[in-house]
Amino acid sequence: MKNELDEYRSRDGLSQGELADAVGVSRQTINAIERERYNPSLELAFKLAAQFDCAVEELFDPALDGSA
Amino acid sequence: MTATESPGTTRLSKRRTYRRLMYLAVFGGTGIGFLLRYLDYPVVGEAVYWVGIVAFIAVWKGSDVQLMDERDWALERRASLSALQIVGATMVVVASGSRLVTWLTDYTVPTLVWGALYGYIGLFIVFGLSYLWHRSRL
Repeated sequence: MKNELDEYRSRDGLSQGELADAVGVSRQTINAIERERYNPSLELAFKLAAQFDCAVEELFDPALDGSA
Repeated sequence: MTATESPGTTRLSKRRTYRRLMYLAVFGGTGIGFLLRYLDYPVVGEAVYWVGIVAFIAVWKGSDVQLMDERDWALERRASLSALQIVGATMVVVASGSRLVTWLTDYTVPTLVWGALYGYIGLFIVFGLSYLWHRSRL
């Protein structure tokens, strides 16, 4: 799924590892989401949105995916 | 912790270490157990095998960091599904082929093959029961 995770993470100056630690997953999981190879669970999507203080739909856009 | 290490990297490093330890325990225990059985030390081999299993569970349940996250579980689900599909397709072909060979020729299909097929059937029975159980809860 298309997402803005990379942009939000860079904006806050976080590494993938730091973000992963903040939301309780592995760095590989954050990397997979950023590369659009893995769609996070709702729970993780909400955690990520809370981390960046934004709405889930600002972070993830299924409409841009082409498969939605 | 050094100045360049963040709590995140420490946790990631611990996670990696624990996971390696977990896999080392189970694969090491199984491998050494097999070797000892091969060298005619069956009881010691069995003991080593169980030490590996128990160590695997101890590291998995006893570590203070999360060793698996949702992507790991998703990977396991996908790998399990692929394995089941491969086994299913193999079973369909091999079972039919074995029956035909038995009926049409003088060749006797080895009991090992029948044993493997019954094992696969058992696997699919367990899958079916597991599926029904999960369906009743979802």
